Amino acid sequence: MASQKKSLAKKLTFLLISLLALSPTPKVFAEQPDPNSKDDFFEMSLEELMELPVVVSASRQTQKITELSVPVSVITAEDIHYSGITTIPEILQFTPGVDVRRFDRSRYGVGVRGLLSRISDRTLVLINGRAANDFIFGAPDWSTLPILMEDIERIEVVRGPSGAAWGANACTGLINIITKKPEDILGYFGSTTINEFGDSYTHIRWAKKRGKWSWRLSAGYEDIEDSDAAGAGKYESGVPAALNSLIDYSSYTTQDVMRNWRFDSEATYRYSDRTKWSFGAAHSYFKSGSNEFVGYFPQSDDMSSLTRTFTRIDHKFNDKITAYLQWYGKFLVSHWPNSIARYKNDEHHLEGQLNFILADKHNISIGGNLSLLRADISRGNNANELVFAGEPYSEQWGGLFLIDRFEATKRLTLEGQIRGDLHSETDEDWSMRASAIYGLDDAKDHTLRFSVARAFRMPGIAMRTNTKSSVFGLFQILPIQKDLGNEKVWSFETGYTGKLTKELTFRADGYYQRFEGVLGARNVVTMFGVTNSTFDNIDGATAYGAECELAFENSKGKLSAWYAYNGFTTDQFEQGIRAMWPAKHKAGLTARLFLPDGWTFNANYAYNDVIGAYNNILIGAHAFNRLDLTIAKEIADGKGEIMIGVSDLLCKTNKAITDVGALTAHETPGRMFFARVQLRF
Amino acid sequence: MFLRNKHQEMRIRAYNLTILVLVFSIAVTSSMAQADTAQSREYQIKAAFLYNFIKFVDWPEEKTADSNEPITIGIIGKDPFGDAFEPIKNKPVKGKKVIVRRFKSLEELKKSGEGNKSDKHPQIEAIRKCHLLFICRSDKNNLEEIIDLVKDYSILTVADTQGFLEANGIINFVMEEKKVSFEVNVTAAKRAKLKIRSQLLRLATRILEEKNSEGKDS
Repeated sequence: MASQKKSLAKKLTFLLISLLALSPTPKVFAEQPDPNSKDDFFEMSLEELMELPVVVSASRQTQKITELSVPVSVITAEDIHYSGITTIPEILQFTPGVDVRRFDRSRYGVGVRGLLSRISDRTLVLINGRAANDFIFGAPDWSTLPILMEDIERIEVVRGPSGAAWGANACTGLINIITKKPEDILGYFGSTTINEFGDSYTHIRWAKKRGKWSWRLSAGYEDIEDSDAAGAGKYESGVPAALNSLIDYSSYTTQDVMRNWRFDSEATYRYSDRTKWSFGAAHSYFKSGSNEFVGYFPQSDDMSSLTRTFTRIDHKFNDKITAYLQWYGKFLVSHWPNSIARYKNDEHHLEGQLNFILADKHNISIGGNLSLLRADISRGNNANELVFAGEPYSEQWGGLFLIDRFEATKRLTLEGQIRGDLHSETDEDWSMRASAIYGLDDAKDHTLRFSVARAFRMPGIAMRTNTKSSVFGLFQILPIQKDLGNEKVWSFETGYTGKLTKELTFRADGYYQRFEGVLGARNVVTMFGVTNSTFDNIDGATAYGAECELAFENSKGKLSAWYAYNGFTTDQFEQGIRAMWPAKHKAGLTARLFLPDGWTFNANYAYNDVIGAYNNILIGAHAFNRLDLTIAKEIADGKGEIMIGVSDLLCKTNKAITDVGALTAHETPGRMFFARVQLRF
Repeated sequence: MFLRNKHQEMRIRAYNLTILVLVFSIAVTSSMAQADTAQSREYQIKAAFLYNFIKFVDWPEEKTADSNEPITIGIIGKDPFGDAFEPIKNKPVKGKKVIVRRFKSLEELKKSGEGNKSDKHPQIEAIRKCHLLFICRSDKNNLEEIIDLVKDYSILTVADTQGFLEANGIINFVMEEKKVSFEVNVTAAKRAKLKIRSQLLRLATRILEEKNSEGKDS
């Protein structure tokens, strides 16, 4: 009897192995649109049917990536998937011209062409075209964004002023995170990543389509240990470095732990072939350890609860006219036990856009938005705190835009974008972009681009309404002496995009930018050694540089290499711009190989130069080389995948990086080995 | 205990053979199903392309004068689309219903006497009333003859056969890295009094024009 059972077990094993061996293996595990939903093909545009890389962030219209009025790099779902990376800023590090610096385990500064800090308000961040920046401080808090990595369809990184299409603060660039449509990821999905130090990142998802409805529900949990626990954490002083010898850092321990619960959902109801209603809600509950602000820790044991909601109606009047109308809201509640008892910020945005084709040659988009913000910040008991006047506090603003993409001749396309903005508390302002895109051949495989653009940066509410912040009497931020004006930037650009062969593409972009009325801090040291800092519009600055990228891609894999030179200089010596300059030299390499039997190898490399200002290296903004390697294997007939990898192989620890406005910083972990398991069914 | 009699051996062999046949059948069926699925997917996409082409092509007024008349997609030859066009039943284009009509191959029409263009057989008349005619690969040897048959009737001819543009066809599908793309013969379109909009032309991987081919292979 036992032998019969054994024999049966052997046969079943043989059967299973044979089935596994003989079953067709999908080439890639990274999610692609569902090929079996034939109704969807008729909903697709020609570009989508041709699987052409298209982007929407350049001018709010779906366009071929080779014919854009501004350079755009696209990080695809496949790039994210095979990198094994679990944070958005770290994947952005491998994109041409993007500066990313990590201040602690969960806090990053991200700036397109530099000018970053934790409050990088010269780069606008969007999620599905909806603002993700916090309008109090002006920048997104990356870790609190309620979005999960494997839900991202692509990230479009626009290099250059994009205010004419998207409004204030898209000065140096724009990052638009676009999530996957429910119908492209039907079924159940689970993923968990764990590294050698015990950090974990888990994501589960369910997406379904029933009749006219489709929906996606995602939930995730992220747990990050502090830098000490991960073998790093050595403290050092920022400016002045001489303080290092006076302070006993041995008593300092890092507290940059982070726990984050995220939920994200989206549902679509296709009322008819012409009308679609979609809505969604997302939430993140974030708890983190200390965060320094000019020598003290207002955000010790910080708790942030961010909710994002939206509802949107898309309507197609006919083949030439489409429109959408949407409302979205952001609701942030934050608690900083050491300083602010409650920080509450509600935003409401109403936005619409009408697209139509005129005389067969003009692709026109017109639209606008109305926004309302209401903030309520309650004081805590600690004297060392950020203080805002006039709570509860509210502001309103709005803008109108017009975009015309005119196909003047078979080879020449002219694109004009213009936008005007009104704001209840700051100056009215305008943005524009005018471009000529010329095809060197009829198929436009080789195109030249010339553009001139203008954008502006609005002073953040915190900057305008801050009444007083002080640190141990040595440093204090004083209220503004006069109304702050907008910072303005003019940009002159040229570029070439070429499809050299079916698989090989090359692009090169150059720019010269002039900033006027740069918003920064004017510092005065008194005779008692106290530094008084006041926000002000301080003179101008100039940025210049170029980026180029060569990419080879086919069904067997991908190889791309890029180099960026991003120069920057201010009119005044040591002018306080409240941001780090860009790293002058940056380079990167991505290699991906789809091997037989469901194996995939991926390598990402990035080099960033030191961040310098007037030949002085800002403390902590060191040069770095980062190399990430992963190898993934499909399992369970392509329904699962196991990945092992290492991030930042070349550096055991990352040197301390002092954020703008901070006095001390500590190392963060570098090399980390990790494993990931994913299942999809 | 471990010794088996002949009868048991036979049963075990038969059992093993059954498993082997089963595994083999599953493997073969699975690969065939995969091939079928791949082909089916390719033509589902091509069907959607045809549907999209209608949006970006303007026919002369005489071809679209009757506002109640649907837009007709004709398929001549061995139809590879299957039920790929099912979803368009309720998806009008330019305010008109879209219908699909299937026709025998030219050889079969000829055999039945319907292929003689001097004749006024209903099938030929019906083909000439189409707005778009997809010529299947089964008729690749009759391309020029079919194109000649419809050239004066403002019909957008489409195929997925090499050399179609050179045979005066208007749009030809090509596969690149398992992705569907297309090429356009602008001169043939003009000859057929069709206006192809720039939104469609800019996506073509090759554009063929009279005298010299200005386009280039991508």
